Amino acid sequence: MENSNNHLDVEKKSERSETVDLNDNTLQVDISDALSEREKVKFTVHTKTTLKDFAKQDFSVVRQHEEFIWLHDRFEENESYAGYIIPPPPPRPDFDSSREKLQKLGEGEGSMTAEEFKKMKQELEAEYLATFKKTVAMHEVFLCRLANHPIFRADTNFRVFLEYEQDLSVRGKNKKEKLETFLRSFSKTTDEILLGSTQKDVDEFFDKEKSFLLDYHSLLKDATVRADKMTKAHKDVADHYIKISSCLLEMATADTNQLERFATKTADIFEKARKIENRVSTDEDLKLSDTLRYYMRDTTAAKNLLYRRLRCLADYEGANRALEKARAKNKDVHAAEWSQHQACEKFEQMSAKGKEELIDFKVRRVAAIKKNLVELCELELKHANVTTPFTFSLKSF
Amino acid sequence: MADDRHAPKLDDEFNDDDLFASAIEIKVEAKADISLEDDRSNGLSPIEEQSHNLSAADEIDLNSDSEYKDGVPDTKAKIELRSEPEDIFEDIPEPKEVHRETMAGRSTLETLVTSPRTQSCNAYHAGTMIEDEKVITAESDGKFITISVKDPQKIGDGISSFLTYNVVTHTNIGLFKKTEMTVSRRFSDFLGLHDKLAEKYLHKGRLVPAPPEKNVVGTTKVKMAGGQTEHEGKLPEFVERRRAALERYLIRIAIHPIFQVDPDFREFLECEDELPRASNTSALSGAGVLRLFNRMGETVTKIAFKMGESDPWFEERHQQLETLESQFRRLQASLEGLYSHRRELAFATAALGKGLALLSNGEDHAGLSRALAKMAELHDKLEGVHNDQSNADFYILHELIKDYLSLLGVVKDVFHERVKAFQTWQHAQQMLAKKREAVDRWEATGRSDKVAPAKDEVLEWEAKVNRSQEEFDVISKAIKKELELFDLQRVKDFKAAFISYLEAQMKAQDKIIEHWETYMPEAKAIA
Repeated sequence: MENSNNHLDVEKKSERSETVDLNDNTLQVDISDALSEREKVKFTVHTKTTLKDFAKQDFSVVRQHEEFIWLHDRFEENESYAGYIIPPPPPRPDFDSSREKLQKLGEGEGSMTAEEFKKMKQELEAEYLATFKKTVAMHEVFLCRLANHPIFRADTNFRVFLEYEQDLSVRGKNKKEKLETFLRSFSKTTDEILLGSTQKDVDEFFDKEKSFLLDYHSLLKDATVRADKMTKAHKDVADHYIKISSCLLEMATADTNQLERFATKTADIFEKARKIENRVSTDEDLKLSDTLRYYMRDTTAAKNLLYRRLRCLADYEGANRALEKARAKNKDVHAAEWSQHQACEKFEQMSAKGKEELIDFKVRRVAAIKKNLVELCELELKHANVTTPFTFSLKSF
Repeated sequence: MADDRHAPKLDDEFNDDDLFASAIEIKVEAKADISLEDDRSNGLSPIEEQSHNLSAADEIDLNSDSEYKDGVPDTKAKIELRSEPEDIFEDIPEPKEVHRETMAGRSTLETLVTSPRTQSCNAYHAGTMIEDEKVITAESDGKFITISVKDPQKIGDGISSFLTYNVVTHTNIGLFKKTEMTVSRRFSDFLGLHDKLAEKYLHKGRLVPAPPEKNVVGTTKVKMAGGQTEHEGKLPEFVERRRAALERYLIRIAIHPIFQVDPDFREFLECEDELPRASNTSALSGAGVLRLFNRMGETVTKIAFKMGESDPWFEERHQQLETLESQFRRLQASLEGLYSHRRELAFATAALGKGLALLSNGEDHAGLSRALAKMAELHDKLEGVHNDQSNADFYILHELIKDYLSLLGVVKDVFHERVKAFQTWQHAQQMLAKKREAVDRWEATGRSDKVAPAKDEVLEWEAKVNRSQEEFDVISKAIKKELELFDLQRVKDFKAAFISYLEAQMKAQDKIIEHWETYMPEAKAIA
């Protein structure tokens, strides 16, 4: 993950690789480019590998968001991965809000001065760019986690995803399929809740984990929502600075006396302050909200793992009962035994793996949150320290 | 004493002589000072002149609030001086002592003349004075007056309750009885003061600052709220805004060289008793309704009458003020937006703090939990900072703009007064022409009995024409001066406000830095 061509990528990688083992560079995946076309975003997935299994050492393919989701689903469905936490899929690239704002700006063009309009347009473009970068990063993180996981990286679907140069012809789910997925998820949720309340877990560790994760997930969700609100408010404040600064500038040009210079300078200061506030808000957004959000999704994945395990346990116990019944009736004992044995094995395996994964998850989470908090701190300080000299310079005027 | 009241001609006599026109009080001391300093070698001639001045001065003084006659040493000295010109020398030390501090370092008459302590009750004098003096603010010549409005208190209960404010004045201007005084005033008193000043000065072209607006909702809330104890320290925001606005209002009056020495203003600041209830400031009173009608009539005239502007200066100024007003309005709107958004930011930060606290409770990793808890605290503190900042936004900038918008309204009113004066003048001219025609007509038809009264009317209207023309000129000149003052003041106010706002911003940033710095080691310490 170190020797990437793009400097920006390196930064991003070091941010998001967290505590995954960076020394293993036999398979490096990154998103080297992204193109935004109307509704779709086309990612260029670039792979560098020393593994023999691949046809080439260095290659790229173009992928769309749906194909990422397809990949995630393949992992999710795969029974043998049941014991692992599947990395959460990246969110859909969402430019709607930016587009809306741009539209509104276009409509309101008459009511503000040319300069103001230009500035607001700049702001919006910067916002658009930021959203774009974020979605690229999310997709990349997803791929990197898969690539770094010792088991996942060997998955054939993953390999296909990376290598297959043609379009994977994964169409987005049509209505029927969407309905199916919805129903399935609905039943799954009810099942989950039912299991959660009825199924007693033999292992205390998992029990604790389950209640912890449930709580944690909802708390994270809550915190994310609030963090988002705060970032938005910050942005609004920054936007207003534009208006004020342009007002002042106007006053300055109209004023013929000494107030002119003063007003111009003040307008300047507001401008700068605005930029900084904006930067603060985006940083906050990046570090805090995104981290919270990501871990929220990760927690969901962990919850899924637990659910699967629980399901497995239920199956195991069901198999046990079936076996007993069979033994009692002395019919199909062998089949029942065998299925019970299967279930047992599966369950044990899953428990072992699951335990590992969950512990790992905790460690990862703590480290990531810590890192992001520290970085947030540093950035805030940096910004606050920059604003002070500005305002100071005006006093001397 | 009453005898001396009938000497208006004395005033007119001295009208031409700018130097001695109105700052006559000062003249007394000044001359006294000089005569003392100059070894009393000036002889009696200046003193004889003085006696004339003194009677005039005395007369003026008598015209002003008689309440102060006993308290003010000036008047006392004058009264004695008037009756016994020869004893001037003996009596001079008195006023000199009183005003010693103000006289310090001054030896020329010119500086004295240009002191802002002009008698304001005789507006004509004031008008001519200002023409020649440089526009000087209250801080010049070592004179100062600082006013603050504090301690809003609710008196009484229920519907008849009201709020009083303590008005504290520090000054070394000699016209005031004491150097420090505190009085208790209620809102309608302030409105009453405005009415009195407006009555006296608006039609002369002076910019009388506008008082803060009435606020029915807020006032009723205060009235209806429970007992006094629960109010202590928790008075609604609107009271704080009003208090600040009242303070600014009084300071603006005090800075104006003419209003500063106005007797009504002085009474407002000094009189320890309750002022007579200015009940005609209430919206529902008879005077209020009358005011409403007047307003409507004026608005119609404003639209209907287009004055042929002879002075390009006014044209230009008018334009400029219109643009300024629209700019102010825009600025005000954005400031309001900024204020509300920053409030939102503060709320959101607090909410995040709570969310983080909950999260930290749910977190089982001890280190992370502690860090999250600290972060929750941090965000709470940040909320405080943001709240303070938004207060600064509001009180410093927004209120300033609002004040200036209302001042611009006053300027427009003053312009309108000028238009009215012009109208009167035109009207008088028209009437004169008509009367002259009437005279000619009567002369032509040979009705000599009608000619005489008609000629009288002509004379009458000629006088009116002259008077109204003079008034028009006076008001135009006054407006020019006032606008100069206004501009200077505006520049000063804006600079001061923006600088203090930015200082507040700096402080806020410093606090933010502090908070984040204390948090940093916590974040790093996560095991």
